[in-house]
Amino acid sequence: MNTGSAKRKTIDIMLKVILAVFVFTIPVWVSSPTTLQILIMLFLFAYLTTTWNLVGGFAGVLPLGHSAYVGIGAYTSTVLFISFGVSPWIGMWAGAVIAAVVGVIIGIPTLKLRGAYFALCTMAFGEGIRVLVENTMQFGPFTINGPRGICVPLIPGNNFAAFQFASKVPYYYIILLMLCVVLFITWWFSRTRPGYYLAAGGEEPEAAQALGVNVARYKVLAMGISCFLTALGGTFLAQLTLYFYPKQILGLDFSFELAFIALIGGRGTIAGPVVGALLLRPVGELTRIYLSSTLPGLHLVIFGLVLILVMLFQPRGLVEPLSKAYDWFLDKVSGAGKEVKS
Amino acid sequence: MEFYVQILINGLMTGAYYGLAALGLTLIFGVIKVINFAHGSMLMVGMFTAYWIVKLTGWHPYAALLLVVPMLFIFGYALQGIIIKPILEAQRDVREPTEVIIVTTGVWYILDNLALMIFGAEYRVVPTSISGQVMLIGDYIIQKPLLYGFITTMVTAGLLVWFLKYTKMGMSIRAASLDRDAASLMGINQYRVYNIAFGIGAAIAGIVGCVLIPFYYVFPTVGVVFDVKCFIIVVLGGLGSIPGALIGGLIVGLIESVFPMFMTSTWTELIVYVVFLAVLFIMPAGLFGEKRDW
Repeated sequence: MNTGSAKRKTIDIMLKVILAVFVFTIPVWVSSPTTLQILIMLFLFAYLTTTWNLVGGFAGVLPLGHSAYVGIGAYTSTVLFISFGVSPWIGMWAGAVIAAVVGVIIGIPTLKLRGAYFALCTMAFGEGIRVLVENTMQFGPFTINGPRGICVPLIPGNNFAAFQFASKVPYYYIILLMLCVVLFITWWFSRTRPGYYLAAGGEEPEAAQALGVNVARYKVLAMGISCFLTALGGTFLAQLTLYFYPKQILGLDFSFELAFIALIGGRGTIAGPVVGALLLRPVGELTRIYLSSTLPGLHLVIFGLVLILVMLFQPRGLVEPLSKAYDWFLDKVSGAGKEVKS
Repeated sequence: MEFYVQILINGLMTGAYYGLAALGLTLIFGVIKVINFAHGSMLMVGMFTAYWIVKLTGWHPYAALLLVVPMLFIFGYALQGIIIKPILEAQRDVREPTEVIIVTTGVWYILDNLALMIFGAEYRVVPTSISGQVMLIGDYIIQKPLLYGFITTMVTAGLLVWFLKYTKMGMSIRAASLDRDAASLMGINQYRVYNIAFGIGAAIAGIVGCVLIPFYYVFPTVGVVFDVKCFIIVVLGGLGSIPGALIGGLIVGLIESVFPMFMTSTWTELIVYVVFLAVLFIMPAGLFGEKRDW
């Protein structure tokens, strides 16, 4: 270990600590609820995209119906809260379990099929769930309200048990924590046996199978975990907006946006979804705020264009050149690059 | 009894233009082994092209075919040549590159939202000389635009089969779809074949546009309605199969016309999804598909 690389490591850790401190102290010096809301949505999308990435990235398939699981999470916790007064903190786990079971049931027959079939199947399933919810007014003791959507009953003030806060700050820390946990799970997953099997199955399914890896089983496992975590994000979204309806939370556009962010950021990488959300969400929010009346849909044109350009010129996602630039920067600052060469 | 026959007739008529809409998708899959997610958007482009030509010139919608079909062919040819070809070249070894799904989804979003920006979200209709006309055959009421659509579907499918079977280009297309490497070795320029297949797929979308405008609304997201339906139809019939697309279309058309007799019509959409998922789970190759394709 020479001094250059030790210095490089110190700078690397220092920069990361500074970043972490910066992110965790944002609510201290940003008071605008609008800015916080944009940041919360950014982290929520980073969270949902990261959970999408568990199956869409690591398992090498293309799920295009993940809004179904967001919706399952949001609807389950909310109807339990309305009908039985169950705290959303408990309801979110019920939603997650339901989503995981549904995901596994859908995954078992479809994950064996070729990629295109899986994409079509998840898409049809997501749309099917939307139609089902839009046609259901009442399900047993639960009010679903069909296409009109559900309002979470408002409880004034900060109420931790009801998962409702008057200020945006608690939401900010909750979603930040959820994001950290899911990033840790992804990191851990990519370093365990199922993660390696999945990576092998995603790259070379035939070769992995020849070595005795049951690729389909690990894909189903990834699907289950992914759906479970996605539904938790759904409950968060429900508690943040306090009103949701099928076209929004179960819509095709939502599913596609999650997939787009992951693909542009870099599927199958840990930082990719976060980078994607960081780059694309602000574009989406700003064009929506300032241009939606004159040029509706502009942000989706931009998303589509960026997506095509990334696929043509940087198919592994934008995280690759960014991490290269970061490495180059570290080398430059610490002077480690020269020593390695000599 | 007559009532039920009438419903069956309506179902078959609707199913025919669904089948026609799915024909281009199945052709492109059969040749390039790629699901074109922008297919619905190509239909939307076809419908808007037909709409503007009929609106501005006042022609009979079927006369507009003369302009719409070549325009859409060029559009599809260019789309494949400029955007999809580089991906196929980069992913030469992969049989069904996922990247193409992603890129065509990008095309879908760009086209739909460009149409939204240019034309606005309103639903448009253009009065044509055959809009709303009916005829009686025996005791049964036949809507003329639907009948013409049915005939157009059969003629188009027949021409397509003839083209693939008996022309030199058609044979090249079939060769490239069987084995792209062997076809290349035989002197077939596979990318040109792909461009042409994509062009034909888009041209069929143009035909659908002309068939639909006498009785359907034109709006920027009209493609999404057909997109999901076409995916279901081609998987039902078997990806890459031309008779499969037609029969899949008829099945979906029949479901949509027969089931509202027994339940609220909004539920039929769900029935279509359930049938689709059931077919995928039980026989993924569909009715006429080949096992190697899934």
